[in-house]
Amino acid sequence: MPKRGFLGCSFPVIVGISLVFFVLFALGFAAGPLGRSIFGDLGLPSWLTVPQPDPKLPAEVVLHPFGFPITNSIVGAWLTIVFLVGFSYAVTRRMKLIPTRLQSAFEYGLGWLYDLCQSVAGEKNGRRFFPVVTTIFLFVALNAWLSLLPGFGSITVGTAEGEMPLLRGANTDINMPLALALMSFVFVEYFGLRSRGFRYLGKFINIGQFSQSLGQLFRGRLRAGLSGLITGVIDIFVGFLEALSELVRIVSFTFRLFGNMTAGEILLLIAMFLIPWIFALPFYGLELLVGFVQALIFGGLTLVFLTVAVAPHGAEAA
Amino acid sequence: MGGLANLGISVPTLVAQIINFVILFGLLYLVAYKPIMRMLDERSRKIRESMERTEFIKQQAERAEKEAAKRIEAASQEGQEVIARAMRTGEEVGREAQQQAKQEAEALIARARAEIQRERDKAIDELRKEFAEITIMAAGKVIDRSLDKKAHRQIIDKVLEESTTLKKG
Repeated sequence: MPKRGFLGCSFPVIVGISLVFFVLFALGFAAGPLGRSIFGDLGLPSWLTVPQPDPKLPAEVVLHPFGFPITNSIVGAWLTIVFLVGFSYAVTRRMKLIPTRLQSAFEYGLGWLYDLCQSVAGEKNGRRFFPVVTTIFLFVALNAWLSLLPGFGSITVGTAEGEMPLLRGANTDINMPLALALMSFVFVEYFGLRSRGFRYLGKFINIGQFSQSLGQLFRGRLRAGLSGLITGVIDIFVGFLEALSELVRIVSFTFRLFGNMTAGEILLLIAMFLIPWIFALPFYGLELLVGFVQALIFGGLTLVFLTVAVAPHGAEAA
Repeated sequence: MGGLANLGISVPTLVAQIINFVILFGLLYLVAYKPIMRMLDERSRKIRESMERTEFIKQQAERAEKEAAKRIEAASQEGQEVIARAMRTGEEVGREAQQQAKQEAEALIARARAEIQRERDKAIDELRKEFAEITIMAAGKVIDRSLDKKAHRQIIDKVLEESTTLKKG
């Protein structure tokens, strides 16, 4: 290992690379709209510039098989599914007790999520929640990363409204985050109901205290009945808030993911538009991180909500 | 619903994405979670088993070592015993041989003595006989008379019997 040099390159190489980067950056800066507004038109060829982005929130419909509208975000989701399932199948088709490198890496990644689930939800519940949390995590992360691949947004297809990109990150279309949030909601309620039965619903419809106090009131114990009645009303209200918070979760889940992914996409497009070429590189790195973090947040929050849902009521209050 | 449509929410797409998610969940469950969990479980079971086995083997080795030490000790004791016994036997044999040699020597000496005695007796006997005859002859010459040989002999024998010098041993 040579100690001299920088980032594993010798000084002349690093200087050369820096020079190329600088020239590219300067060229892009001069050709892009930002440079042009400062220096004026320098007569650079037009293919150096990137067309102005025109982000739309609704996903474009690109296919119409049997009259069913298929948006490009659905195609993007399919790509993610194919990729994930294909990779998993390739790895687990011939599993060995002494793993190959690929299997080892795959097991390490899933094992990390498995340990996370078990450390949050406990030994038994962690095992039950692991598939749900992992599916959400893998889908969100892979979808975000795949849409960063070069060419992902460049493949276009002709439609009635003109040329449209065939692929679009599924989470930049609000339907996918909403679908994920709904699935998360469904799983939370399912596991809550399954492990605690009707007592789980008692968290939302808390009329025990109220009806008991009503009974006291009828039997003529006015003071105790009235004070109990007030507590009962508060209980009912708390239950209502609990139910509301479950619904608000869906909204917050949806818009957190949708907002982050869409903003990231637009940020990249704007960066590329303002200063074409290498200026967008740091933002790519940022978006890689954002995709991972959003996946972790979505999966982690689902895991926490699942854990809270199956926890006994008394433990939750404590 | 105008505002929601602007955001892009559309029921067919939403339903399609939910179906997509369910499909992904099912497929991943089949090709990823189930085999991986099984593999993880199996591996942890294998590791636990092999650790238990290691412990067992270690104990067994310890036991075997102890056994071997015990056996070596026993063998060395036995060897010692054998050597001691051999030495004892050797001593005994030597002693016996010595004793036998001594007995034989004594027997030889005794035989030799008896032989000598017998020779001596024979010699004395012959000497006596001769003496008697010479005496008789001499006496006959002296007195010039033939003595009754028989009577004389008796006399001489009596004399000899009384004499101490030529007494039979």
